[in-house]
Amino acid sequence: MTDAPRPDDDTLTAEYALGLLEGEELLAARGREASDPSFAAAVAWWQDRLAPMLDEISPATPRAEVWRRIEEALDGAAPSAEVIDLRNRMRRWQVFGTVSAAAAAAIAVFAFTFMTLPTTPQVQPQAEAPLVASVPIADTDLRLAVTYLPDRGELLVSASGLTADGVHDHELWLVPQDDTPLLSLGVVAPGEERRVTLEPAVAAKMADGAPLLLTREPLGGKPEGVDAGPVVAEGQLKKI
Amino acid sequence: MRGRLPVKPASAAARERLKAAMARLAGGDRGALEEIYRATSAKLFGICLRILGDEKEAEDALQDVYINLWRRADRYDPGRASPIAWLATFARNRAVDRLRAGKLRQASVGEEEAAPIADASPLAEDLLIDAEREARVHQCIEKLEDEPRSAIRSAFFEGRTYADLAESSGTPLGTMKSRIRRALARLKTCLEKGE
Repeated sequence: MTDAPRPDDDTLTAEYALGLLEGEELLAARGREASDPSFAAAVAWWQDRLAPMLDEISPATPRAEVWRRIEEALDGAAPSAEVIDLRNRMRRWQVFGTVSAAAAAAIAVFAFTFMTLPTTPQVQPQAEAPLVASVPIADTDLRLAVTYLPDRGELLVSASGLTADGVHDHELWLVPQDDTPLLSLGVVAPGEERRVTLEPAVAAKMADGAPLLLTREPLGGKPEGVDAGPVVAEGQLKKI
Repeated sequence: MRGRLPVKPASAAARERLKAAMARLAGGDRGALEEIYRATSAKLFGICLRILGDEKEAEDALQDVYINLWRRADRYDPGRASPIAWLATFARNRAVDRLRAGKLRQASVGEEEAAPIADASPLAEDLLIDAEREARVHQCIEKLEDEPRSAIRSAFFEGRTYADLAESSGTPLGTMKSRIRRALARLKTCLEKGE
């Protein structure tokens, strides 16, 4: 995409903070921000120093309705972010319980240990522990729930509640932690729970802490040889 | 737009109050969210409105900002910047994301909404981000050559990417990148001198 040489991190973090990047360069920078603390700190350095420019903009009072809408959106949610997160995790188990009997059994075990031992991390053999990610979809209450079962090499993606707009698809990407190119985890099926078996090369990069990104693409997913579309949501795989 | 109010003595106290509210927010205090909203929504709405240029879109963006703030209150690091700088950056980034997603939507649907004009609020408490650094970044930006300066400003305020900037100015992408990268290196040196 570029005929200029690959920039150093000083430049790249400035480009990212300003919003100059797009396509895969943007995806890669977001991934590094999520997984590389020194990169994230350099981005923050730029953001903090550029932020005063925003003082140029005159304030404007939003309509009272906006606060009411925010309250409505939060009502019914638990009083703390932590509890909301916990509730979402529990809801996810219920959703996935329907996917397959084997997965449901595995999930029930984890849900049980999670409920009874909320503060004690479970020591699980690394290869066996599922990886989960909850990817909040911008502007909505919806979350894309992603679960990876390493022993089966299976990825479960739940997009229940999402509706198709007929013009776009959303594609899920794994940002490998070794700076290699992004790997597609496939197009998300709106309103469905989809189970796929990952290629071994992709499965090998599914790791605790690896960022996931969701991009908006033309129907059918990112066309070959074209930059990825805008990032609409992001999350991170976590071992449970 | 360069004329700015002098920093009011009240703004340091306002920032401390905001910092305290952010800490309570991380503890799950709903009242803290309302306090933060009252203190900052005019500033953040101004930012969303400027970037999106549409009141409806700006309202949606603002809603999204505070809902996300509530859900991920732990994201703000009190040791980092002033809370208002962090919130303003957060709002700016969400608005830019929305702008880009919207452009795609508009391109495919081919429809554009009318953009009503919002009331400016001269009464909103003016939480300035940071008086010293404000001076610094403006001073440093002013030192850049005209072309890269205006490109950097439109990236920041209008969410324009390298590709947008190259296309609208009829400059090859590589040339645009090299030009801006040189300017960013100068900008960094200048900002560091102010540390």
